[in-house]
Amino acid sequence: MDRSGEAAWRPPRSCDDYWSEFRHCKSLRNCFHHYYTYGTSPSCKQWKEDYHNCKEWEKHRGAEAKDALQKSERNRVAEQRNFTPVWELRRDPPRDWHMPLNQENPQDS
Amino acid sequence: MDQSKQEEEYGYDLFPERKTGNNRGKSIAQSLFTFNHKCQVMLQFAMETSPYAKLLLSAMKSSGCKVLKERHFSCEDCDGTVSGGFDADSSQIVLCQNNIHQQSHMNRVVTHELIHAFDHCRAHVDWFNNFRHLACSEIRAANLSGDCSFSNEVSRFNFGLKQHHQECVRGRALRSILAVRKISREEAVKIVDEVFHTCFNDHEPFGRIPHGKKDAGFAYRDYENRDRYYANL
Repeated sequence: MDRSGEAAWRPPRSCDDYWSEFRHCKSLRNCFHHYYTYGTSPSCKQWKEDYHNCKEWEKHRGAEAKDALQKSERNRVAEQRNFTPVWELRRDPPRDWHMPLNQENPQDS
Repeated sequence: MDQSKQEEEYGYDLFPERKTGNNRGKSIAQSLFTFNHKCQVMLQFAMETSPYAKLLLSAMKSSGCKVLKERHFSCEDCDGTVSGGFDADSSQIVLCQNNIHQQSHMNRVVTHELIHAFDHCRAHVDWFNNFRHLACSEIRAANLSGDCSFSNEVSRFNFGLKQHHQECVRGRALRSILAVRKISREEAVKIVDEVFHTCFNDHEPFGRIPHGKKDAGFAYRDYENRDRYYANL
């Protein structure tokens, strides 16, 4: 989304976060869990690329690095939403969430 | 009213203390040296230290369902080997004080039930009449709570490796449904299969499948950072 406050843009995550995600992704433990869950080994190079783009943007504030980072993160978000939900999302929380107990009619189950 | 039949149909017979009018006070002696007290202490510890629980509590608060320990959790005696449940009618998470004896187990049960509560809070989940909704929440809870971690499966003598996590999630979702609803196994399997792909890939609010405390810690970090994240997408 392009806003007038473009000067205020910064990477969605801190560069250290990209690096720690990369290291975590490559760890033996994570590789094991990925295989246990998906039957394949994880692909970690996107985190490394993002880290480099982040550092690049910090140094030179280039548009290319910024675009690459945004594209990568939007991709991640899209992947997380790549399914049709089974249920309808609420607009407001359930009305009786905060209602005190012992207000139920004994006839109801 | 055919209350007892309804209770059986919705699994309430597993939680005998849920029958109406059973909220008696307890003496101090009963309060301090019982499973109930141990349950309360472990629950408090879980809410304060487990990154899974902390993330879910934060997410629920942001969704307008702030969780209050005294109101939304209840430590009770339960039947059989069930560890906990979510009662949508009273908006309460039930913890089976007679079946949870270790902190790690408590952490897992709290996470599992909070996922149900989170689903209840953010979506119109028809717990009682729509089996697909029930199955979906059970798949998510088994997937994201650590129920199906490699070590937990090994401790149940379920030895599997490649993609075993998914098998475990299916199996546990199936068991949970069959425990609280009267439907045939074949029907339950069909329903789980129908919604599996969607619900296995719904990782809210974690953004990933947390395989351990480190993963959950990263997910919590991402959650705390969400304002900056979405503002700069």
